Amino acid sequence: MTDALSIRGLSKTFGGKVAVDDLSLTVRAGELYALLGPNGAGKTTTLRIVAGLLKPNAGQIGVFGRDVLADPAAAKQIIAWAPDEPMLYDRLTPLEYLEFVAGLWGVAPAQAQAKAEELLKWLGLWENRGERCEGFSRGMKQKTALAGALIHDPQLLILDEPLTGLDAAVARQVKDLLQARVKAGATVILTTHILEVAERMADRIGIIQNGRLAAEGTMDELRARTGEGQATLEDLFLELTGAEA
Amino acid sequence: MFAPGSTLWLMRHELRLSWRGLTERRGRGRGRFRTLWLSAILPLILLVTAGLPLSFALRRVQISVSPISVAIAAVIAVALFTLMLSQTLSAAVDALYERADLDLLFSSPLKPRRVLTVRFLAVAVNVFTLVGLITTPVLLPIAVTGHPAWLALEPVLFSVSLAATGAGLMIASGLFRLIGPRRTRTLGQVLAAVTGAAAFLLGQAYNILGRQQAGSIWAVIAKRIADPSFHAPPGLDWPLRAMLGQPLPLLGVIAVGVGVFLLANQLLGARFAADAAAAAGVGTGGGRARAAGRARFSASAFRATFTKEMRLIARDPALISQVLLRVLYIIPLGIVILRQAGTAQALALPGGAGALSLIAGQITGSLAWITISAEDAPDLLSCAPTPTRTLRQAKLLAAILPVAILLVPLLVPLTVMAPLPGVAAALGCAGSMGMTAALNVWWQRPAKRSDFRRARQASWFVTLMELLLGIVIAVATGMIAAGQFGWALIPAVLALVGVLLLSRSDAQVAQALRAAS
Repeated sequence: MTDALSIRGLSKTFGGKVAVDDLSLTVRAGELYALLGPNGAGKTTTLRIVAGLLKPNAGQIGVFGRDVLADPAAAKQIIAWAPDEPMLYDRLTPLEYLEFVAGLWGVAPAQAQAKAEELLKWLGLWENRGERCEGFSRGMKQKTALAGALIHDPQLLILDEPLTGLDAAVARQVKDLLQARVKAGATVILTTHILEVAERMADRIGIIQNGRLAAEGTMDELRARTGEGQATLEDLFLELTGAEA
Repeated sequence: MFAPGSTLWLMRHELRLSWRGLTERRGRGRGRFRTLWLSAILPLILLVTAGLPLSFALRRVQISVSPISVAIAAVIAVALFTLMLSQTLSAAVDALYERADLDLLFSSPLKPRRVLTVRFLAVAVNVFTLVGLITTPVLLPIAVTGHPAWLALEPVLFSVSLAATGAGLMIASGLFRLIGPRRTRTLGQVLAAVTGAAAFLLGQAYNILGRQQAGSIWAVIAKRIADPSFHAPPGLDWPLRAMLGQPLPLLGVIAVGVGVFLLANQLLGARFAADAAAAAGVGTGGGRARAAGRARFSASAFRATFTKEMRLIARDPALISQVLLRVLYIIPLGIVILRQAGTAQALALPGGAGALSLIAGQITGSLAWITISAEDAPDLLSCAPTPTRTLRQAKLLAAILPVAILLVPLLVPLTVMAPLPGVAAALGCAGSMGMTAALNVWWQRPAKRSDFRRARQASWFVTLMELLLGIVIAVATGMIAAGQFGWALIPAVLALVGVLLLSRSDAQVAQALRAAS
């Protein structure tokens, strides 16, 4: 089966500073992959390159067999990118926002209309569909952005800190939605600083440090690697990254 | 220097923020330095070019209190009040909606009324400072060389700014109560723009009404004033007497200004805080749900982007007010052109056609900057599979179409009445609009759309080039309108060369954007 994401020898520098250093990793189709790492480790840079927002200095990236660097439009067609700061327009309503995003991805009008209704209802925004986003809470904005990311039924959903600033109820909604997407066959890659979320939700976990992959695997594989049978992800993370508690 | 929490301490805080806002408006780094430099050099220039010559010319002139001088002083006072009102109304509307720091101040142990009084006072001081920067260098030498009492103009101006602040607050608060928070923001901004342009439109009465009709109105007024039996309404001479430094009228004018300010402060102080809190909920009103059924999904990225840009333009009160202000300047110009075309007095047509092309280009430039550079979700567009060219074309159409719609009612009758100037104006407008749109694509400077409220953030270089090339195109337009085709080639070729020199390839634009991010 084709891998959802295949990164080989990826490097990116900003000025003289190395953000991603010869990184290679693979995400399998249909799994929820958590990419963890300390601040400044290179997680967001890596994901932004995959989403087509940055150009790498070197390396190869494939998304479901499509070459992101050689044919970015084909790759973007099946990717969704949701950063921690929602990419919204304050003066548009959620429905208008979805209308715009669906247009960008060329979703057929009837399909987009039905999908928008389904997503907004699922995320509890249907009653707010005609209100401008400027009056929304952080959680409502995050959910609107998430609906935008899902309007074109992406095969690969990339989320950077999707739970930042959300209250427990909204965070639960988002987590449920991500798991439902995975069950439906989509692949999800997320970064998070909430290690319990990664531990509970992720099929596999990659830990990145100084732009390189420090460790990768399921929880059991990571435990086996460190030799700590009952360790939590927090313990493993601190040990693998050499950070002190 | 001042005790923390005191009125003066708060005032210093407010003025510091205002000053920084003013310097940021002109950009960071060298832009800020330029503002500081201009603030220092402008009074000096005024002193040398206006203050000193006027002080010499007026040193023996005595202004008598006659009906004519009284009327002129009253008109000046009203015009100043109107101009100041446009600024204070805008500031009052801003105070309602930009309330992050109000939250901080209200959550502190300071009395809310003191906070608001100081904030309102700062508005008056800021408005007065801008006017004072111009009047003081002119007035000082006149006062020194023979008319010290005329310095009374400064307290008169401050009183007018206090009254304008009070009136601005009352209008903003009244609108809030009458039409609700959402519409107040839009209408307040538009009203501020229209009020600001009122003085200009009044000055254009000759052009709007026609020389004959306007002249007859002024003649009637002048005749009425000159009539010995004419008695000015009581108190109408006070502005003049106050400006001349007569103590009692001066005290009266100051009392009126301070009175209006204090009245507004007293009446609205507590209510204003509540309005500001209510304004925070704007956007969650149930009334917007009506729009819910009007979603128009389309598989076309071009159409979706164009629709989105048009919606954002239509919902941006600050942008609308700024564009409206420029449109107001077109009105007298358009009327002059059409009147000249209608009466076959074609002398002013070439100039009018050229000016029209310049203004059309300037409005397009503002809109193009908003649609091209002020993209609030650039990453969303970058990660979409839509080609950049498609997005850009949709954005440009959104910038050009509103201006074209504004111009059509003017250009069509003009072309019918005077074909050559009409076609020349249409060509000039198209050229000017195309030039500013292209410059905004080639020299993009990404910024948040909300920054437009402070000022257009395009680079000074692009702004300058837009103006220079716009003038060159305007000259070419005027020459074509006058039938001077051969001479028109020179500015036309110059403009073309300028545009070509400033052009950038897509790769160069992308590289510049990457470097800027």
